[in-house]
Amino acid sequence: MHIRDGILGPEVCLMAGIISLGAVSYSLRRLRFDLEDRAVPLTGMLAALIFAGQMVNFPLLGLPVSGHLLGGVLAAVTLGPWAGCLAISMVLIVQAVLFSDGGLMSLGANILNMGVVGAWGGYGVYSTIRRTFGSSHAATVAAAVIAAWLSVLAAATLFCVEFLLSSHSSGFDPRGILTLMVLYHALIGVGEALITGGVLAYVLGRRPDLIPELGSIGPVGRVGGFAVSGVVLALAVAAILAPFKSELPDGLDAVSEQVGLSALEVERPPLVLEDYAIPLLARWPQLSVSVAGILGTLIVFAGAAGLAGMTRRTTPSIVTRSIVTTDGSHGG
Amino acid sequence: MVVDSRSSKQSLFQPLPGGIKLLMALAMILAAGLIPLENWPAHGLLIGMIYIGLSIAGVTTGYLLRRLALFMPMLLVFGLSAPAVRSDGAAWSWTISLWLRCTVSFLAGLWLIHVLPFRELLITLRRWRCPAVLIAMLGFMYRYTFILWDELHRLQNARAARDFGSGPWWRTWSTNSQMIGLLLLRAMERAERTHRAMLARGWDGSVRFLESDE
Amino acid sequence: MANTEPAAIELRRLTFQYPNGRLALGEITCSIPTGERIAVVGPSGAGKSTLLMHLNGLLPAPPITSDDRAQVFIQGTTVTRQRLRDIRRQVGFLFQDPDDQLFCPTVRDDVAFGPLNLGLSREEVMSRVEAGLAAVGMADCSTRNPSELSTGERKRVCLAGILACQPAILVLDEPTSNLDPRARRQLLEILRAFQGTLVVATHDLDFVIELCTRVLVLESGKVQADGATERILSDPLIMDRYGLEVPWRLRKP
Repeated sequence: MHIRDGILGPEVCLMAGIISLGAVSYSLRRLRFDLEDRAVPLTGMLAALIFAGQMVNFPLLGLPVSGHLLGGVLAAVTLGPWAGCLAISMVLIVQAVLFSDGGLMSLGANILNMGVVGAWGGYGVYSTIRRTFGSSHAATVAAAVIAAWLSVLAAATLFCVEFLLSSHSSGFDPRGILTLMVLYHALIGVGEALITGGVLAYVLGRRPDLIPELGSIGPVGRVGGFAVSGVVLALAVAAILAPFKSELPDGLDAVSEQVGLSALEVERPPLVLEDYAIPLLARWPQLSVSVAGILGTLIVFAGAAGLAGMTRRTTPSIVTRSIVTTDGSHGG
Repeated sequence: MVVDSRSSKQSLFQPLPGGIKLLMALAMILAAGLIPLENWPAHGLLIGMIYIGLSIAGVTTGYLLRRLALFMPMLLVFGLSAPAVRSDGAAWSWTISLWLRCTVSFLAGLWLIHVLPFRELLITLRRWRCPAVLIAMLGFMYRYTFILWDELHRLQNARAARDFGSGPWWRTWSTNSQMIGLLLLRAMERAERTHRAMLARGWDGSVRFLESDE
Repeated sequence: MANTEPAAIELRRLTFQYPNGRLALGEITCSIPTGERIAVVGPSGAGKSTLLMHLNGLLPAPPITSDDRAQVFIQGTTVTRQRLRDIRRQVGFLFQDPDDQLFCPTVRDDVAFGPLNLGLSREEVMSRVEAGLAAVGMADCSTRNPSELSTGERKRVCLAGILACQPAILVLDEPTSNLDPRARRQLLEILRAFQGTLVVATHDLDFVIELCTRVLVLESGKVQADGATERILSDPLIMDRYGLEVPWRLRKP
């Protein structure tokens, strides 16, 4: 899943980098607010754990390559979406700079796909499912498993969007690329889901107090969680349906004309992102609507999540759980 | 597993500030990303430059071949997606260009590994006004990665001592997941102990650095 | 007549309960004068570490805020939330596992951590770091990665980091665990050279004989015996009752 340099165009990398920078900064602020002086040791350790965990080989039947944990959802479930995003981002930074395991220029895109969509988005799905189905161990594990699978798919879609926006990728049939990516990542996603579930089930069996309750990880809020999971779901669904959606873009165009929506779109003030995207998109009239739709969805949901976050910021919520073992023993 | 052993080698690049080295690597990658698809002389120039850079930095051929051997298969597969998906004849030249571009970028990354030690990276990030908390976290991560790797090896050895052959794949997956789970437990418990040790030495959440550049 | 200087450490009916309700420490009363070297011994689970963590305010968590409820006094000052900063300046704590306390990428950064938190100037921090490393014999390892060091070396670096804060009281939790004989001897020499008050929780009774003049025997959270090292440790009745053994050195032939 680590995007290598040379695959995405520099302009896309720059855009992704800017968005990631914003997301990481925001995560940092929220994290310090939640964990205060525990932020540094806990997040640093979580990052080291994810890094180490990614090294474990999960053999694939007969194939020379093996599966690995990504850990976005696992990180977010353990310490919350802010720490999760930061931990994944730090792992990606170190992997890129010290191991050349992922592109340097594409670092922003990798962080966006795996840290933001993976950790934030994954947590959003996880928290929504948990809110709906309760906090039993089974529900927690199931929520994490589903969140892991969906987040991998969503990241795959986002990668396709990034790829198709790159100037190098003209002449590619978007549906073909999407189909390939979806198939590949649906499989990877299953692996990620199984590993995440297995790890979480073990942890819950030994130390259930280590996995925080939803409310204790700062004010993520109902709306915020719902909004983010909505984004992930939208991306994942786009991944699944896009290869088959051959007539829909044309259909959407026709419908919007009939209903007069196209006139409305002209009156909407042009957003910087869409202005930038349009020249590239002009080459793919069929896909431009759905790509713009995905981008628009992202922006709308981001705005909703931001609003939800702002309204909750006034009520600090500090994680007070202590994981000193119940008999206080360290050997004495 | 010592991460920084490669970057401790002496080379022409060593005295350069970390920021310059990072920018050099990025410039090479950017160049690879910007060159027009079929401009083969430009591709060749970049390959030549990166080869010279690697030689000066002291990268051994063995290391180079080992890393390339791991990197190539994935790249080949991705590159072949073009002829598989595209109908036009330019597919192959796109693929070859992609292979060259990605390889140059990858080698730029390898070069960076050899010239930029971790500590210098942290100093560079500080100079670039990266938030102090993030740098502290990165330092932590670096230090504790070694510890967790050791623990992981111990867990793997302990498991191997009781594992009398390959069971069904799902058993290996289950055992490995449990191993990661145990590692997570130990890691978070250690993080809590470390936090206590930090408190005992006056930690109040504000990150302070020793301003020295050696 | 009476020494008007406050004791280095004073415990007044110190009591502590674990979250699950079990009693960890039961009404411990003890006074440790300045400069004394005292060992806290007892079977596992006796509450030694718990007791030690009260000495620098790590327990109770969260810390108490009112002076009236204070049960621990460090050099006359109550251990309350408001005074934690000062208390931790005076009390240096060496934890059992050096990897729990060595968290910076290099040795020098780690030893500098404490002095930096004290708010000292850069020059002062550097001189404290050098002094600390010199005191433990690790002056030439300042740029090393802690992961490259042996357990004994890591322990010494931890100690350097604590000594760099110039505490008046040193509290050590199982300092000789996992140390080979040479590292143990080196640690002993360093601690012997320390001028202030020492509190050591340990199973290593030979170490106690070599370093400490007073022994506190803890069991089930209560002080079962308190007296001179040789008297307590050579008494087979006391040793047997509390899961300890008379060290070979003190056994009568």
